[in-house]
Amino acid sequence: MHYSLRFEWLGMVFDISTILMILVTSLVVLFMCIGMTRKLTSATPGGTQNVMEWIVDFVTGITKSYITPKKAAGFVSLALTLFLYIFLGNQLGLLFNVNTAHHNSHGQEVSQGFIDMLTVSTSNEMKQQKLEKVTEELNSTDPHAHGVVISWWKSPTATPSVTFALALIVLLYSHYLGIKKSFGGWLKHTFLNPIHILEEFIIKPLTLPLRLFGNIFAGEVLIAFLLSVGIFGSIPLFIWLGYSVFVGSVQAFIFTTLAMVYLSQQVNEDH
Amino acid sequence: MLDFGAVSLEWGTLLTQAIVFLLLLLAVRKFAMGPIVGMMEKRRQHIANEISSAEQGRKEAEALLAEQRRVLDEARAESKAIIDRAAKQASDEASKIVAEAQAASERMKADASAELAREVEKAKLELREQMTSLSVLLASKIIEKELDEAAQKSTVDKFLAQVGDRL
Repeated sequence: MHYSLRFEWLGMVFDISTILMILVTSLVVLFMCIGMTRKLTSATPGGTQNVMEWIVDFVTGITKSYITPKKAAGFVSLALTLFLYIFLGNQLGLLFNVNTAHHNSHGQEVSQGFIDMLTVSTSNEMKQQKLEKVTEELNSTDPHAHGVVISWWKSPTATPSVTFALALIVLLYSHYLGIKKSFGGWLKHTFLNPIHILEEFIIKPLTLPLRLFGNIFAGEVLIAFLLSVGIFGSIPLFIWLGYSVFVGSVQAFIFTTLAMVYLSQQVNEDH
Repeated sequence: MLDFGAVSLEWGTLLTQAIVFLLLLLAVRKFAMGPIVGMMEKRRQHIANEISSAEQGRKEAEALLAEQRRVLDEARAESKAIIDRAAKQASDEASKIVAEAQAASERMKADASAELAREVEKAKLELREQMTSLSVLLASKIIEKELDEAAQKSTVDKFLAQVGDRL
């Protein structure tokens, strides 16, 4: 199992490697957008502009197929950012791995602060459990054991915190739009039918992020497993990496589409 | 924070992601969507302009074509009229010349026959005069020979009658 370093601040837990990947992915998206739109021309477009226009057309197509054409233009930026962020985030984790291994065997003790960051937990009990496991792995004398392996490079979308954040932004925004359009209508639509209460407050907030997280996380777990198998895992790994590219693209498309569907349910005139 | 060991939901990471995503959204909106929307709007206008100018050009070409066709038809009608007029004029001229020639020949024929008649009368007259003088001469000769008027009268009368018949 791979660990990540966490720290607690203002009563909240932050995962350092995930935050690093969030920043890396955001910067990649940002530089891609700026790079591809730096030399725009309204005449015959060149290479990168074609790609950017294709992406924008694609995302606009998703937006326009769910949200009424009058209001669709206002959601293209959100859909584009969501799509690019999730798509690139999914693919980034497939590029390579950056792992660091830590153990106590060379007469070099891992610091207490480091162990604390590995064992950040909600309860003391959990912390104790983790501490035992970490201590065991750190002091392992098995020559095949790597000690505590920290994964620094992974898809940000393989972390539930990230997918929940994205989903919550979309869902909160959709409710904000619904309330802004008509508070009474929103109340009636959301609370009158128990199925709708279930849908709005349990089903949507769980399925939207967990679908993305589950797909990408499972993909990365399988990649880690195939990597640990060694030479026999190389062909399945190759196939699985190809399939993961496909899954990553499809999940980005699905998340963006569902986001637009959920927004359209609050924005469009007819439900 | 929900912790299931390998999988955990951390509020700090979640909040960080939310803030970073919102910042990214603003940046994308400003640096990518702004220029793209502007460019697409410019392209839309460009295309609309091109279409309307092409439409206008087509209309102009059609108007010009109609004008050309009209002018050509006019020219054709005019040339036809000119040719018709010329042909008519030529045939008129020809018939006039023919008629004039006919008239001239008729006149000449009439003149000639009149002249001829006149000459014949003149010749008759001259002949009669000569005959008269010859008759007188003859008579005088006869009288000179034998003055038997009564006897010769029948001879002269017969002669004169013969001459008068021949003339």
